[in-house]
Amino acid sequence: MNCGDVQSQLHAFRKGRLAGGLPAEVSAHLENCMACARAGQREQALDELLEQRLPRHAAPKTLKRRLGLLMGTPTPEPAPVHGTVTRWARFVAPAMAFVFGRTVMLRSSSQDGAFASLMGEAVNDHLRVLASQNPVEIASGGKHQVKPWFEGKLDFAPEVPALEDTELQLRGGSVGYVFDRKAAVLVYALRQHLVTLLVFRAEGLAWPAEGNAPARGRETSMRGFNVVLWRSGDLGYALVSDANAKELGELAVRLAAATHGPGR
Amino acid sequence: MAFALWSRTRAPERAKETLVHADALYNLARYLTRDPDDAEDLVQETYERALGAWDQREPDTNVKAWLFRILRNAFISRYRQRQRRPAFEVYDTTEQPTEAATGEGSISSPDGAEPEQMRRIVSSEIEAALQTLSHDARTVILMDLEGFTESEVALVLGCAVGTVKSRLNRARTALRLMLAEYASEG
Repeated sequence: MNCGDVQSQLHAFRKGRLAGGLPAEVSAHLENCMACARAGQREQALDELLEQRLPRHAAPKTLKRRLGLLMGTPTPEPAPVHGTVTRWARFVAPAMAFVFGRTVMLRSSSQDGAFASLMGEAVNDHLRVLASQNPVEIASGGKHQVKPWFEGKLDFAPEVPALEDTELQLRGGSVGYVFDRKAAVLVYALRQHLVTLLVFRAEGLAWPAEGNAPARGRETSMRGFNVVLWRSGDLGYALVSDANAKELGELAVRLAAATHGPGR
Repeated sequence: MAFALWSRTRAPERAKETLVHADALYNLARYLTRDPDDAEDLVQETYERALGAWDQREPDTNVKAWLFRILRNAFISRYRQRQRRPAFEVYDTTEQPTEAATGEGSISSPDGAEPEQMRRIVSSEIEAALQTLSHDARTVILMDLEGFTESEVALVLGCAVGTVKSRLNRARTALRLMLAEYASEG
C-alpha cells in the first residue's frame, strides 16, 4: 500500500472498519512511515475534538413532551432541583463534592459516559505534562509567585494550594484546556511522581450524579492513572497521577480543603 | 407547523421506541438548520412522517437510520420550499474541494490543523468550522460521530458506500483545513 492508500483508510482503520488483511497492512505501514503515522495522529486529534468539544444539542424538553404526546407516551416532568441538591448533600461535605471514579468506561448511562469523558480529558492533560519538555510556564518560587501569574490569563482566579508539611512540592503552573475551556494546570512533584492539578470552570459539564457512593478511582484500564475529581462552587478540580491511589486520595482531601475558600 | 395530535390508539407500540433517538435527530437538525426553532419543527415533522410511514417499513429496517433518512429528506423538502427567503441557503451536496478551503493568503498547513493546534480549539470554533461545510459534509461527519456505519450513512444519503467513504474523508480534510485557520488566529 502506498501512503495515499493508507491515509485514505486511516479513519476507517481507527474505527475498526477495515476487513480482511487491510488492518495488518495499514498497521505495518504506519510502523515504518512517519508521515502516515503523523496523519494518523491528526485523525485521532480530530476525533477527540469532535467527541469531546463539539457541542451536542439535546432535544428541548418541550419538544420531547410534544413527541411523547404524538406517540401517546407522556414524558414525565423533570425532578425539582432542590430535591436533587438535598439527596447529593447527604454524601458530600458542605459546598464540595468528592468523587473517586471507578472504571466508568464500562457503564452505559449518558451521565457516566460524560463523567468518563471528563476523567479521560484529565488524564490526557496529565500526559501532556509528562510528555512536555517544559511542563510549566511559570516555575514555582512558591504559591505567591505562581498564583499572580494566572491573572489576566484565565477568567477566574485559581487557588494554588501548597501543602508544606507533605512531600508534595509545587513545581509551577501553566494554562491548559479542559474540553472547551481554559484551565489552570498546576504541576507538583511527589517524590518521583508528577502530579497534575487541573482547575477549571465546571458549568456545563456533566458532574457525577447524586447518590454515587465514593469508590477508589482509576482512569481507563490501559493507562493506570489515578484521578480524583471534586467541585467547589463553580470550579472543578481534577488531580491526576500514577502515585499510589490511597496517598493521592489523602492529598486530594487536603488540597480540596485548601481550595475551598469563602466568596467563590 | 400545526401540531397534529395522534391518539394513543393510533401510534404503534414499537413506534414509541423511536423517542430514544430524539436527541440524536435534534442534534443533526440543529447543525443542518442552524436554528433551534427550525430544528424543533424539522424533528417534529420527521416523527409525524415516520408515524405515517410506519406500516410501510421493511420488517428488518434499521429504525434509527430510517429516521435520519426521513429527517434529511424533510430538510431538503423544506429548503426547496423556502427558496424565496433572502437568506436562503441552497441545499449543497457538493464536497468542499480541499484546496478551496484554504483560500488566498492562508497560512494553513496543506494537511490542515496539526494535533497540537487542534487541542487548542474551543467548542465554538469547532462548531463554527463544521458549519462552513456543505450540508452533506456536515451530515456524514455527524452521523459518523453518532456511530453509524458507512452502510447506514449510505442508506440515509441514498448513495453508494464508496461514495460515503470518500465524502467522509473529504469532509474531515476540509474540517481540518478550516480548523487550521482558527488555530492560526488563536
